[in-house]
Amino acid sequence: MDGFETIIYERVGNIAYVTLNRPRVLNVYSVQMRDDLYEVLNGVKVDEEIRAVILKGAGEKAFCAGADLSEFLTAPSVVKARQIRLLRDLWGLLRSMPQPLIAALHGYVFGSGMEIALFCDIRIAADDVIFGLPEMGLGIIPGAGGTQTLPRVIGLSRSLDMLLTNRRMGAHEALDCGLVSRLVSGDRLLETAEEVARQIASYSAAAVRNAKQAVLQGVDMTLQQGMELERRFSVNTRVSGDQAATDNG
Amino acid sequence: MTTYRELTWRKEGPCAVVRVQGDASGAGWTARVANELEDLSAEINWDEDTRVVVLAYPGNAFQSGVADGGPWGEPDPGSVVAPVAQIRQPVIAAVEGDAMGLGLELALACDIRLATEGAHFGLPQVAEGLIPSAGGTQRLPRLIGQSRALDMILTGKTVDSAEALRIGLVNRVVPATRLMEVATGLAQEMGARSPLSMSYVKEALYGGLDMTIDQGMRLELDLYLLLFSTQDRIEGITAFNEKRKPEFQGR
Repeated sequence: MDGFETIIYERVGNIAYVTLNRPRVLNVYSVQMRDDLYEVLNGVKVDEEIRAVILKGAGEKAFCAGADLSEFLTAPSVVKARQIRLLRDLWGLLRSMPQPLIAALHGYVFGSGMEIALFCDIRIAADDVIFGLPEMGLGIIPGAGGTQTLPRVIGLSRSLDMLLTNRRMGAHEALDCGLVSRLVSGDRLLETAEEVARQIASYSAAAVRNAKQAVLQGVDMTLQQGMELERRFSVNTRVSGDQAATDNG
Repeated sequence: MTTYRELTWRKEGPCAVVRVQGDASGAGWTARVANELEDLSAEINWDEDTRVVVLAYPGNAFQSGVADGGPWGEPDPGSVVAPVAQIRQPVIAAVEGDAMGLGLELALACDIRLATEGAHFGLPQVAEGLIPSAGGTQRLPRLIGQSRALDMILTGKTVDSAEALRIGLVNRVVPATRLMEVATGLAQEMGARSPLSMSYVKEALYGGLDMTIDQGMRLELDLYLLLFSTQDRIEGITAFNEKRKPEFQGR
């Protein structure tokens, strides 16, 4: 998979790299980027050899500074916009990825860039990172799940503040409130993301996938349902582990 | 316009600045505040020119809230808080000084909380043989997480402004003398943004809390697409592309 206009896809061993690659416009998310990501992630999703995916932004200034607003107001109609959104559901695809997604974040992480980061499982930031949701000043609301994913990650109180007041958040506050789980200097960002990816890749693939699903699906369940789900995943992981041991033996 | 005895309110541009007077000595004070907040909430909800609400009050005015009618008496403490939670515009709580019990629960029903330096916050009802009854047991964990909420509710522990800020219980801490200036300044800033975006974001966040993430994303998408039909979306995006300030009309 290569030759994409707006992203770079690379694969090193069992780790996939997806780089948002429109550095001259701060990697803003466009229709073409949606189509490129949709194609790449659909491929990655079914590739059982890939154990972890790193998402990053090209250039010095931004992971992704939001949506490309020059393309807004061009949708033929709201009916068409809805149809496309539901048929080419990149956000649903991101949410359904079986492999852990690791976001390596630097510079501006705004709007849909922040929403992409929120679909990742592990967020690592460089110390120059700055998060923001500018939708209130644009007459829109987040449309890539941000109103749902953000409160689940940083709580309702801080989510309302970021959204309603356009408050931006820097690296240390992001670490304190759990928006990112690791903070490193800019020159160590990719290296740290790779360490995390390699560590995950060294574990049983079934254990990693099942643990991810147990956490993500369990959040929407009653505790009792979640416990039952965990038990099923646990049995499944053991069976897969035994199978792998037999295959290797 | 309804006349109010326990509250004052005025319009400042796109903002409604409401203040609950702190003189809680008169009999039936809490019930009157509850009734007046109910009237005010209805008035504001129907007013298209009000885009942001500031709700200022002395946090300790409500300490007598439960005792007012006795633990089983009237009014139900929830009746003070419910009208505020129903306001569709963003509500900024400007809490003067300490807020314990009902005083804190009222702030929890607002969207943004401003506190003064050196203030203390807590839900001490359990120590009095009661439980928080104006949404505290439900809103606190949703706002700051279950771990910290259980600690506050079960032990009655108080947190000071600095810790309240750190754990996200309040969003800004300011010197007491500057509280109203900061609150109204923030409200004016927010008032310049899209009123439809702000009220839809509230619906998506609060509504989504009770849904699975898939359901919540469908709610968000419905609201997102509904905004395609508005003048304000065209204005917001056009203004951005033309590098000028948008003028939102709320339609």
